[in-house]
Amino acid sequence: MGRAAPPWPVLVVFLAPAFLLYTVFLVFPLAQALFFSLFEWTGSVRGGFVGLRNFAELFGRFPLNEQLPRAFLHNTIFFVVTMAIQVSLGLLFAVLFQRGIRGKQFLRTVYVLPFMISPLVVGYVWSLILNPTFGPVNAGLKAIGLDALARPWLGDPTTAFPVIMLVNVWFWLGFPMLLFAAGLAAIPEDYAEAARVDGANSWQVFRHVTFPLLTPVFGTVTVLTFIRSFNVFGLVWALGGVDGGPAGSTDVLGLLFYRTAFRGGVDAFGVASALAVIMFLVIFGAAMLFRAWFHRIEAGLT
Amino acid sequence: MSRYGRGSPASLAVLLAALALVATACGGGGTPTTTQGSSDTGGQTTTTKDEMTDTTEGSMPEAEEVTLTVWSWRPEDEDAYNEIFDVYEAANPGVTVEFVPFVNTDYNNILSTGLAGEGGPDVVQLRAYGGIQPLIEAGQLVPLDGEIDTLSNFSEDALKVSTGLKDGRVYGVPFAYQAFAVFYNKAIFDELGLSEPTTWEEWTNILDTLKGAGYIPISTPAKDPDTWMLAIIHDTIGAPRYGGRQFEKEVLAGETDFTDPDYVASIAMMNDLLPYLPDDVIGVGYQDSKTLFITEAAAMFIGGSFEIGFWRDNAPDLDLGVFRVPAPPDAIAPASTVGWMDGSFGVNANSDAVDAAKKLVEWMGSKEFGDLFTKKIKQLSPIPGTAPEDPLLARFGELYQESPVSYLHLVNFRYGDPRGDVLLREGIVKMWLGEMTPEEVAQRVQDGISQWFTPGG
Amino acid sequence: MTTQTVGTRRSFGRRPVEVAIRVLLWGYAGLVIAPLSLVVLNSLRPTREIFRDPIALPKSLNFESFQVAWTEANFSAYFLNSLVITVASVTLATAVSVLAAYVLGRYRFRGSGLLAVFFLSGLLLPFRLAILPLFLLLQSLGLVDTRIGLILVYAATGIPFSVFILSAFFRQLPGELTEAARIDGAGEFTIFGRVMLPLVRPGMATVAIFQFVPLWNDFFFPLVLLRSSDKLTLPVGMTRFFGEFQTDWSTLFAGIIITTLPLIVLFLVATKQIIAGLTAGVGKI
Repeated sequence: MGRAAPPWPVLVVFLAPAFLLYTVFLVFPLAQALFFSLFEWTGSVRGGFVGLRNFAELFGRFPLNEQLPRAFLHNTIFFVVTMAIQVSLGLLFAVLFQRGIRGKQFLRTVYVLPFMISPLVVGYVWSLILNPTFGPVNAGLKAIGLDALARPWLGDPTTAFPVIMLVNVWFWLGFPMLLFAAGLAAIPEDYAEAARVDGANSWQVFRHVTFPLLTPVFGTVTVLTFIRSFNVFGLVWALGGVDGGPAGSTDVLGLLFYRTAFRGGVDAFGVASALAVIMFLVIFGAAMLFRAWFHRIEAGLT
Repeated sequence: MSRYGRGSPASLAVLLAALALVATACGGGGTPTTTQGSSDTGGQTTTTKDEMTDTTEGSMPEAEEVTLTVWSWRPEDEDAYNEIFDVYEAANPGVTVEFVPFVNTDYNNILSTGLAGEGGPDVVQLRAYGGIQPLIEAGQLVPLDGEIDTLSNFSEDALKVSTGLKDGRVYGVPFAYQAFAVFYNKAIFDELGLSEPTTWEEWTNILDTLKGAGYIPISTPAKDPDTWMLAIIHDTIGAPRYGGRQFEKEVLAGETDFTDPDYVASIAMMNDLLPYLPDDVIGVGYQDSKTLFITEAAAMFIGGSFEIGFWRDNAPDLDLGVFRVPAPPDAIAPASTVGWMDGSFGVNANSDAVDAAKKLVEWMGSKEFGDLFTKKIKQLSPIPGTAPEDPLLARFGELYQESPVSYLHLVNFRYGDPRGDVLLREGIVKMWLGEMTPEEVAQRVQDGISQWFTPGG
Repeated sequence: MTTQTVGTRRSFGRRPVEVAIRVLLWGYAGLVIAPLSLVVLNSLRPTREIFRDPIALPKSLNFESFQVAWTEANFSAYFLNSLVITVASVTLATAVSVLAAYVLGRYRFRGSGLLAVFFLSGLLLPFRLAILPLFLLLQSLGLVDTRIGLILVYAATGIPFSVFILSAFFRQLPGELTEAARIDGAGEFTIFGRVMLPLVRPGMATVAIFQFVPLWNDFFFPLVLLRSSDKLTLPVGMTRFFGEFQTDWSTLFAGIIITTLPLIVLFLVATKQIIAGLTAGVGKI
């Protein structure tokens, strides 16, 4: 690091392939799509420049003006709750695995298994399990006399969103767990050993040695979880439907975008593009803030 | 050291290949084309359309080899359509028809790109009423009125399904209509001494008797995304109460709106229905509600003519009947059966065989096609003189023809955002959850629709 | 392996806490496996039975659905397409990313910070929005309904994540290695190819696998960008079982299993590699 960079022709050779492929096939179409938010649309045909009119529609049109803040709130809750559960469970499992347990390899593969299945399938399987009529969850509760707890899990606005967040944890937990496992494995054993020699118990070792050294991993997990929470789509679609039901209690930005773009009126494309611009600004801004924040913490540690 | 040597040549080869790919991609036209791409589509579409019509009419002889691609959102009908098109191919040598179905939920998506460029379909299955408008206004479909003869087989009401809101021209040949009524399990009705109701009293008696005997009287889904059924069920039960066709006329003319006390009362009827639906109905999905009916836990199912195929395939032993819900005592219109056109088939303006495509679509409006369609796809065809074989399906047709009423929101209030049916079904769910009163639901529907709907327009 | 087993056994006898830990870990494994076994069980039952009773054991072992999926539903062709498209996309993305990640991770130069953010921003965008411009772009290049077109798009979507993780890898490699090579007179390309590249191979494996999973499962892009049925991929093939009102669940479940098995095998083979890869790579973002 900090060493003089190679001359620019060499840099270009290294950077150009990725830069071109990425710019031509991803950034360029996306930038174009964002730019489209300033135009009038009829179906998939672009009309004249309309300035910020699509944005005005987005914030002014009923019921979009109700749904947008609600979806934004849901995404935020989704991020906070997912973070809390995933970090604690993922870290717990990673720490437990580090102690060495029989069948570790098998268990670890099992934990990552849901991640490999399409979200639509995960959604289908869980809606079957939580089904109020045939589902084993309610049947089980009734069998042990807890009839009062049995409910239409995905049909009750108070439980639907929490259930979706839990299913999401089930779906995604393997990933933070792997990241933490990797982070733990990267910490040299001598650090903990030295602390133990100084008389620290295992909790103190964890709290004062292991935990701070995991800061970079927390950073990665936070940024990736944040991005994922604000882009979540397939799983919520499969469990709550495209309207984020029941009664909008599971509506998120991804669904709102999809509905606006592909189920709206004739001018749908412009309004949806405006929504995408807003989503991009929020996600990008917040991700950059998180990144800066973690860099500061790390800098403070070393 | 030898470790280093082993890995690198292979990796470098990969890198070189990657570089080559990128170079081809960018050199092959990236620079001149990328910026204009989309902005020109509008203009392009219209010019291509005219050119196509000219060239094909002028130079293409009838018997030339042509393959027509038909896009559809009905994967379950693939075999049936292939058999139907075999008949057309036999009568039209040189023509091959290829049926390509896509997953229903992503069909609109696929169309928005498929019709924007080349390589799309020649003939397109088109969504109904409001759903077709973005394609029409984008100039992506060929107008068919005055172009093909078989349009005369359809009533003006039927053609509304594929008519442009702004230009009033017709862009598709309707393929099916659906009707909604009450399926009932004859064995259960016999067991309890019940029969098809003709009065409101008999209807409520059926509900109470079934409930008393431990059956779920009516199986219905109300879990998103299957709430779409609710807006239709509302018309099935409530149209006589709010005034049916008369109300439709008045609300379109601006003489009344959805806050009308009769419309509010019809929404309240959905509340009265709730005790007779499955427990926790807001968690019951479409598939679940059908399972309750075929396993005979539920005695009735309010559903569409399109369900019959499912009953026949999955519960062939079930003895089923169908009836319409009688009008309530305070009704202001007679008992009626809800129905609507399911969609149409039209011609892609970007097709390179517009004439051959028109000819195929023209045939799809003929009695020959209608007969094949009812027979093989087992749905109701709007073409006069077509009679379905299945007695249950035939009964649906009779019920609708006797006293038709529109699926109000699909037929009239899907032309803008937010859609009327979405507002209504969300409202009904909130009402069932105790979060809204019938008045508030009606107000919500009115507020939403008035964002884009101008009466009398 | 054996020493480890002995170790756990000893501690098992010693502390009840160990029992609790094991119950927790195996309990959670059960929670993962139970729902998934539902897919396996239902793939062995005829659709009509699934409708009548969605959750039940199969009455007899019936592998017909697998046969239907594989032959009638053309899964064998889809499988090959998926394999070609996914492997090519992942290879291409990893190859170009490792080059870029090398200079971004090892050097600071004018604009390097901006470039890193530029690449990272690709992780944040709703791709579905870009489908129309993307389609028009591919059309102008004559790449609609070609495997190459889809591969280029997929590779582009894999670049942000790969550059993000791989540059963290390069950043953590000790500087002494390259210094020694430099003193020997090696140029930048030699250092990269002979010294650095072999060291980040675990990282490349990790990145490749994490790209592989979502691409293998994606059905959105092929649905829009491919047309001919002989080019379709497994997930698109699977959408053919979803009817508007009727779904062929039995075949669908068999299809899901056929689609997911390769991923599980891949992961089983590569778990160690992934952990090793991540260990070196999670450092910094």
